[in-house]
Amino acid sequence: MPRAQLPAILVSLAGIAVSIYLTVLHYAGFQPACPVSGALDCQAVLSSQYAVIAGSSIPTSAAGIVWFAVSAVLWSRPFGRAQLGWSAIGLVAVIYLLFIEIVRLGAICLWCTAAHVLVVALALIAAAMWNRVRA
Amino acid sequence: MSNRRTRPPMRKPVATTPAWVMPAAVVGVLALLVATFLVIRWYTTPLPPPAPSTDTTQQIITKITTLPPSEFDAIGQGTASNLLKPVSGAPLTGSTGKPEVFYLGGEFCPFCAAQRWSLIIGLSRFGTFSGLQPTTSASDIEFPNTPTFTFRSAQFTSQYIDFRPVESSDRDRNPLQTPTAAEQKVFDQYDSSRTIPFVDVGNRYAFTGAMYSPSVLAGMTWQEVAAALQDPSSAPAKAIIGSANLITAAVCKMTGDQPSSVCSDATIQGLEKNLK
Repeated sequence: MPRAQLPAILVSLAGIAVSIYLTVLHYAGFQPACPVSGALDCQAVLSSQYAVIAGSSIPTSAAGIVWFAVSAVLWSRPFGRAQLGWSAIGLVAVIYLLFIEIVRLGAICLWCTAAHVLVVALALIAAAMWNRVRA
Repeated sequence: MSNRRTRPPMRKPVATTPAWVMPAAVVGVLALLVATFLVIRWYTTPLPPPAPSTDTTQQIITKITTLPPSEFDAIGQGTASNLLKPVSGAPLTGSTGKPEVFYLGGEFCPFCAAQRWSLIIGLSRFGTFSGLQPTTSASDIEFPNTPTFTFRSAQFTSQYIDFRPVESSDRDRNPLQTPTAAEQKVFDQYDSSRTIPFVDVGNRYAFTGAMYSPSVLAGMTWQEVAAALQDPSSAPAKAIIGSANLITAAVCKMTGDQPSSVCSDATIQGLEKNLK
């Protein structure tokens, strides 16, 4: 197994854990309220209309579980276009979710940001591996 | 004899791009996008509506605190969510020894902004407010610039209850007022999520959060909200007065249905029955 694959699998597993936690938070339910201080507000994000996949009651974080799980499986195989493409899909999703948090909601959820950072980390690993393969 | 032509050995392709370029590009593009989103947010956040003058503020407060009983009866619970939960602690009493309603909120918070309208209307059936000042929730948060009145300098006089408001932060989230140790203990005990607004009705009922969405007030001025409250079929009236009725019912439970002019009302009695 190439050196970068094990970290990628570990990052994917961490992403699954974070996404499961966010899903649990979602189903625990929220009061429409503010944290005592600050805008780093998972409540505002996870109780918003964007916390579910459009037209469904499935939490967005459930999609995160699926994405990281597929990622873990892909990274256990030899590196190729699949990992690069999957990382690109994740990156596009992160950009969309950042747009929602910053522009639409004006609130940043730290746990969501943790998941985003893990997606970006996987994209960076994929980009670096792609460079190496091409070379 | 072999006719096979020997191929020239494959030359290893020369890497034209250093390995760090792709990851750096990804990080760079992301940083650029985040900066762009922040600029878009800044551009699209509406400015807070201009605060009304002192005279206009007084007119608005008079208008919303002298609503006819028929208005309360027509709406009942309206579209408000009943967040009141029974709690069992030593009865909360104020500085004058009367049963106390304790409020903990923050000026930045849009849910506090929404809930204050109902608190002002509901509690005004038991006494009189003074010192209410117009403000809005923060501009950089969900439901930005929700119009409201801050309790930071508010006084409340009543022969039935005390009202103790604490605005913990100003509109820019700077610390403003601090609850006493006893008040902090009540907050810690009944609001495990540590969110605001938090309202304790004499340690008989408590709730966290707003009973309706601040979106009901989006883009409105104080005058427009006050005007909408005159119409029982309007969305703000159904939400704000519905919540005010729930608060009234909880306070009536706390005061032993005093004053009867308020608490014996059929609508309030009906809501009291629904409180556990």
